[in-house]
Amino acid sequence: MRNLLILNTADNIAVALTDLKVGSKIEQDGLEIKVANKIPRGHKIATKNIAKDEGIIKYGERMGHATSNIEIGEHVHTHNVLGDRLSAEQVK
Amino acid sequence: MKITGFDHGQRGVGIRNLQLILPSVVCSTHISSRIAKDVGAITFAHQHGCGIIGNDVGGISDFFCELASHPNVGTVLIVGLGCETIQGNELAEKVLGSNPQTKYLVIQESGGVAGTFESGIKQANDLAKANPVSNKELIDLKVGIESDLADSRAEELAKKLEAAGINFEIENTSKNAGISFAKLMGKGVHLIISFTSESQPPSGFPLIPTINIASKSALHMALANDFDLPASATNVQIIDLIERVASGTKTKSEISGSGEIIAPRVVRSV
Amino acid sequence: MSNLSSETSLLTGFPRPDGRIGFRNQVLVMPLHSALCATARSISQAVSGSVSATHDWSGEVDSDFERITKVLAGFAANPNVFATIFLTLNTDNENQIIKRAEDIGIANSQIIDISKVGGLAGALSLGIELAQKFVSEAKKISRVSVPWSALHLGLECGGSDALSGITANPALGVASDLLVELGAVSVLGETTEILGAEHLLAARALDPKVGEQIIETVARYERSINYEGIDMRGAQPSRGNIEGGLTTLEEKSLGAAKKAGNAPFTGVLEYADPAKKPGLYFMDTPGHDIEQLTGFAAAGINIVVFTSGRGTPTGSAVIPTIKVSTNTQMATSIPDLIDLNAGTIADGTQTLQEVGKAIFDEIIAVANGKLTAAEKGGHQEFALSRMYGTVIS
Repeated sequence: MRNLLILNTADNIAVALTDLKVGSKIEQDGLEIKVANKIPRGHKIATKNIAKDEGIIKYGERMGHATSNIEIGEHVHTHNVLGDRLSAEQVK
Repeated sequence: MKITGFDHGQRGVGIRNLQLILPSVVCSTHISSRIAKDVGAITFAHQHGCGIIGNDVGGISDFFCELASHPNVGTVLIVGLGCETIQGNELAEKVLGSNPQTKYLVIQESGGVAGTFESGIKQANDLAKANPVSNKELIDLKVGIESDLADSRAEELAKKLEAAGINFEIENTSKNAGISFAKLMGKGVHLIISFTSESQPPSGFPLIPTINIASKSALHMALANDFDLPASATNVQIIDLIERVASGTKTKSEISGSGEIIAPRVVRSV
Repeated sequence: MSNLSSETSLLTGFPRPDGRIGFRNQVLVMPLHSALCATARSISQAVSGSVSATHDWSGEVDSDFERITKVLAGFAANPNVFATIFLTLNTDNENQIIKRAEDIGIANSQIIDISKVGGLAGALSLGIELAQKFVSEAKKISRVSVPWSALHLGLECGGSDALSGITANPALGVASDLLVELGAVSVLGETTEILGAEHLLAARALDPKVGEQIIETVARYERSINYEGIDMRGAQPSRGNIEGGLTTLEEKSLGAAKKAGNAPFTGVLEYADPAKKPGLYFMDTPGHDIEQLTGFAAAGINIVVFTSGRGTPTGSAVIPTIKVSTNTQMATSIPDLIDLNAGTIADGTQTLQEVGKAIFDEIIAVANGKLTAAEKGGHQEFALSRMYGTVIS
């Protein structure tokens, strides 16, 4: 069973196809990643280091931005990502 | 007036002992209706719960709580889907605060439609068995009155009720009667008297026996069979019917099942 | 797939007098007032082969009036409907809805004015009689060969998870592209799910004006949301989406847009408006699953494919709704909610093209009469979309 789904070579995240355990090592498609957090199936893992405010890239397109620095292997989700559009901040 | 009602503990005495199958989202209304039909409970179809946001989340959640904790309700089975904004289990926790005889089911966690149907029937029957209800005298009957602002009959009835020592609440018809009924429900009325608007048909509210009184309009004459009382009804006759309905006589709208629940929405469709 | 040609389709259906074609022969009991919905339900429950709609409109005329009447009329006139039994109070507004439905095209109809038949009891017995008559008439009609252009496909997703944009949606896109190429109509909805991806869709417009319309439809939606001070992060992605792995609205949109494959966009439709010629369209609909389905039905869409990650039982009274799961886990744990599993793409046991072809085949089979899970379950959800709340304006 493959662990990750990488959609586009330009992406800086991949989608977990199975629950990923902390500390486990993934070697796939030329990538070597140590899983830094518990990542549930369907959630995203960083495949590159991502700086605060940098775009999160999926399908080769920008899907939001990092709200803090994210390291390879970390869980990428609502705790460290915000969408670029229609957030409460923009409304004001 | 001596009314023997159903003892629903801290929620008060009700004039009905209804088991409520409460769909927390539009997607679970159909399965709720199948369960209700099988076990003889009541339910309602509505369009809410999917993609609701902002003030509607709290608003509709509070509304469902009001329904579940109404004194006419006995036990409650909440049926949720699993991906909606107001989660079935969270709603259940909220409702448990006021109606401890509440359980919930989630379609996505119950093996789908067939599984939920089987579990739902079993849980509904278990709930009813585990919570037998005894009779108790209802001493604080509360009557809701719904009418057009211009209809003086409501005021006259209110005066008579006051003289008889019966509590009441009045709601004037706003956009449609269903919204007024919902507001009256929120105020804890046991039954509703609706002086139906001339151009509207009689209707009801699933939890609350609704007595429809006709006007003199041609429409109402043509629908005479669906009204509980004609336009010529006196206040004495109305109060007499109130007593009978409170003691168990079913209203026309209870028998026909007509009347849809309208949860108050303030936010546009998104 | 080289044996498919646009001249001879694999489809059979029921041509209607107005020229549109249906893939079902429903008998629909259509109440035009909320107080008549219980009676409508009782009629359809008593007569096997008939269906009904339930709604909360009681004749009020407000800012949503045009929208509501358009939907009620269009739904009643959907080409999958063989006969429509209207339950009415004979008001001017209700009669206008009926006329509007007739102008769109109704194959057969009867009007029950409850004030002329002695009220609800009379309407119930007359309704049962009429429904029984129509159901037996409907059974006597046979399907005939119909062209690809008869198919008006609706593309929908609900209960999305992180796999939606990776498995089921792109697989649906493969099927949609194939059908559009053959001459069918395919319609993508849910404006919230275009937010963040609209530039990609606009770039695929056949005509630059259509591209501008796509951008403007989304911009109009954003303006309206901002004007009301709505924090969309409260609703999209939904809590279920977030638990499933979707993080931002844009991410959901990028994945959602995959349902429309790669075909060029022929046009943009307002909510509940029909497409007049073959091609791929975008329709401005809410994200509410049932409101979208209802708007599709009112626009004459006659088949829907609905992808889901979490599983939802819903279906429309008048449109067969094919459910495609995004993941094998849901397909195996709640099998009666779905028709086809696209999770095999994530499992590595099937390719995107294989599943896309399987969806295409399923669309044909369902169009030709195969019952969907939602139809077997008797689902007839209906919801009126309101731009203004029920409490205000």
